[in-house]
Amino acid sequence: MNNLYLQLFAQFFHVGLFSFGGGYATLPFLYDIADKFHWYSSKQLTDMLAVASITPGPVGVNVATFAGFTTSGILGALLATTAVVLPSFIIVSIVARVLDKFKTNKTVQSAIRGIKAAGCALLTSVGIKLLFTSNLHLLGTILLGLFIGTSFIKKQDPLFYLGISAVIGLALGYFNLIGV
Amino acid sequence: MNKSFYSIFKTFFKVGTLLLGGGYVILPLLTSELVEKKKWITSDELCEFYAIGASLPGIIAANTAIFTGRKLLGFRGAVAAILGMILPAFLAIVLLASILHELIDKPTVQHIFWGVGIGVITLLFLAVKEMWKKSVNDKLSYIVFIISLALALTQKVPLALIIIGALIFGIIWQKIEDKHNGGKVDE
Repeated sequence: MNNLYLQLFAQFFHVGLFSFGGGYATLPFLYDIADKFHWYSSKQLTDMLAVASITPGPVGVNVATFAGFTTSGILGALLATTAVVLPSFIIVSIVARVLDKFKTNKTVQSAIRGIKAAGCALLTSVGIKLLFTSNLHLLGTILLGLFIGTSFIKKQDPLFYLGISAVIGLALGYFNLIGV
Repeated sequence: MNKSFYSIFKTFFKVGTLLLGGGYVILPLLTSELVEKKKWITSDELCEFYAIGASLPGIIAANTAIFTGRKLLGFRGAVAAILGMILPAFLAIVLLASILHELIDKPTVQHIFWGVGIGVITLLFLAVKEMWKKSVNDKLSYIVFIISLALALTQKVPLALIIIGALIFGIIWQKIEDKHNGGKVDE
């Protein structure tokens, strides 16, 4: 087997296995790979992060596919992408099995209670961070207020919020009403 | 709708396609598709999968998808879920790889990106609301929530440590409660 394929697999398996906390937790690993292997440059990685926001899928998966594809084509892309989610598959399968067994155990239940509250807090912190780093300006803030306000009356499909906001972004940008 | 390999794949393919903004919106998307539309699982279960998925190594969206898929149809469900979720991401990058660099410099793309960001924050808000209802509802969870949020916002504490801390806190809390109740089983 080609050495590059093996390395791609090993490196992205490593990312999948050791990045805790998801999303941007994969970043240090990905920058590290850029330094060591030159499959992509740090600049390309920074670009990729922007791209990952407008393409489907988690950042880590997007970067894995990109690195694999640019270095060794479609097979490389397949290998790197598989490698980055394989640890998840193995770990979740084991943990889910154990949880099924000990679901009624009181200690396990209280541990899950703690984890759930912390999970909610982490999601909240992501929202707050995005709120302050997104450069919403006045119009964006109004739009967000409208979305959230109307959601109390009737919650729409996620596709609705994403679609409408994309169209509004496009329209406002066209008329030069946002600062990006 | 019955839970076949194909129907699970198709559902997660849709979720994977809408997974914009870097994977954070997995929870609101799955809530909409699996809890509200298809009624395959409860919101309670989904919040649990998400929270546990977030506390394990690996990409959270992938962990959550695998957990959920496994619940729906065992091993085959997990495979269907992860394939469905990853495929749109894979195709998008492979098809766009050669023009990615030019793409992000285009003002139009920037504008769409700006807009979608607002949609993503809205979805996050809705997800937090839902998760709050399901998981922050007693003294233990209020305390864990406040401390975890504060720590996460400092950006100095590794997220894994926060989750592990919450896990330990939950267990200790239970032990103390048990002691206070004199060994009686409550509820």
